[in-house]
Amino acid sequence: MLKVSNLTKRFGGIIAVNDVSFEIEKGEIVGLIGPNGAGKSTLINLISGFYFPDRGKIEFNGQDITKKRMNERAKLGIARTFQNPRVISNMTAHMNVLYAILGSNHGKKLSMTEAGAEAIYYLDLFGLLKKRDVLASDLAIYELRLLELARALALKPKLLLIDEAMAGLNPAEAESVSKLINRIRNEFDLTIVWIEHVLKVLMKSAERVLVMHYGKLIADGKPEEVVRKPEVVEAYIGEEEV
Amino acid sequence: MVKFEARRGRIIIHFFGRKYEWTIEPRYWRNPMIGLVLWLSLPLVLYTVAVVAFDYQPIALMSTLIFANLLIMMAVPYNLQTIGTGRLSFGPHFFLAVGGYTAALLSRDFGLSPALTLPAAFAVGALVALALSPITIISRGVYYVLITLLLPFILGEITYWRSDIFGAETGIPNVELLFPTTGNVTLDVMIFVYVSLAIALVLLFLVDRTLRSRYGFMMGVINEDEDVAQSYGINVRQIKIITFTLTSGAMAICGWFLAHYQGSFSGPVWLMPPFLILVLLTATLGGKGAIYGVVISAYFVATMREITRITFGELSVVVLFLILLLLLYFLREGFWGLYRKRRYREYEPSIKVRKKV
Repeated sequence: MLKVSNLTKRFGGIIAVNDVSFEIEKGEIVGLIGPNGAGKSTLINLISGFYFPDRGKIEFNGQDITKKRMNERAKLGIARTFQNPRVISNMTAHMNVLYAILGSNHGKKLSMTEAGAEAIYYLDLFGLLKKRDVLASDLAIYELRLLELARALALKPKLLLIDEAMAGLNPAEAESVSKLINRIRNEFDLTIVWIEHVLKVLMKSAERVLVMHYGKLIADGKPEEVVRKPEVVEAYIGEEEV
Repeated sequence: MVKFEARRGRIIIHFFGRKYEWTIEPRYWRNPMIGLVLWLSLPLVLYTVAVVAFDYQPIALMSTLIFANLLIMMAVPYNLQTIGTGRLSFGPHFFLAVGGYTAALLSRDFGLSPALTLPAAFAVGALVALALSPITIISRGVYYVLITLLLPFILGEITYWRSDIFGAETGIPNVELLFPTTGNVTLDVMIFVYVSLAIALVLLFLVDRTLRSRYGFMMGVINEDEDVAQSYGINVRQIKIITFTLTSGAMAICGWFLAHYQGSFSGPVWLMPPFLILVLLTATLGGKGAIYGVVISAYFVATMREITRITFGELSVVVLFLILLLLLYFLREGFWGLYRKRRYREYEPSIKVRKKV
């Protein structure tokens, strides 16, 4: 479904993503891990079209999308959430999801009433129905994370890019979000690329994990195998001084 | 068949098979027809009061109403432009001048009637805006402000440089009036009041429809966060360009009206900062993105401008701006904010807790 070949992105002298290549099959949940500054979010930004790569190629369902803008990629079925929830703070939770539907491909065929009803469906799916008339600025961080997911799902994506959905959540909330992500993957036949720092949760959900360090992809495999690899341990814990 | 039916709290009118309900309690009044009727009847009421009660021909008063309508014509599309581009322009009066010069030149040099100069003014305004529209994509913040602020200054200088064409401060005379004079000055001015009011009303209606449409929703998202808008699949560039182009064309219509109302058009008069400030103040005092608030603020600003002009003479601009600055300080959400706060159930409920003594 997604094929990334030799992707490179530089910011001045820093190489944020360095010659990264991988493929993702339809229906997979792929975890993307790595220490801070490893280039995970930049990679998500490159796949979603937020940044354009300096070198390399991105293919989605066999189509070269390297030079397509973020809105064009969204229309092809790539949705994303942001590391820091970016919701429209002076609008209600319902309006946030409604706007996403209206902007989406399928939303163009819907009347306002139909789009409104669909927004309610997605809010209900994420347990936000009671908060539908609450301003996004008044939502707790857990609810904001759910709202971002609801909004992304409302775009009816094929590939969902999740950037740290657990950040700022307590263990119980993180567990709940993790279950929801698994549920929507199964119900909506999604492919998910998921950046996470809470490795415990990700190890349970992801079928495959990619590990990045200093912009390079240093490991790719099953979660339990990947975390045992010396280069991954070294990236997280550091090299032993002799 | 017309039938009135009085029910508890409301009146129902059956009018040839159609049913209209009217809630008696003012706090439920949401019918825009009330505002429309009040607005349409205002010039006539003011005129009647002035003539009957004071035996005074209110030409200055009517001119004030025209100026208020001009401010609406500018501030309403300006509000839409601000929402749809997510940028605060400081050059709306540039497009007024483009429209004014187009109408005046076509009328004087080619003898085109106002009916033909209207689409021409809109088209030229929109085309100039289309050519400039990349600025809404490539620049933001202070850069966008500076670019839009420079445009009217550049045009102002061009009018002096090519005074043979634009006439500098004298402007372009001999522009055909919107309609032949009736011979009665007051009646002529009254007609201009209603023409300007009609244009303002049409623009208000179009902008209202746009804001309520799905494009309006998309504009709202762009205004809040362009990256989020893109992640929704919204073509931000396209919407920005369309918004900037069409709203600028609408502002050019204001110039068209001025040229055919005054029978001449002098750009430097309108390209000066005071008019820009009045447009910005009207838009801001109306309330953030509140197009109906603009109607209230435009009439307020125009009235205050006239009162200070009569009362303070040379100091009038200083006093006017001081008053408006104070209002900006105290009315953070503009006039529309006041109305919304007084609407039943449309404010946040609060609980007052008394301290035990």
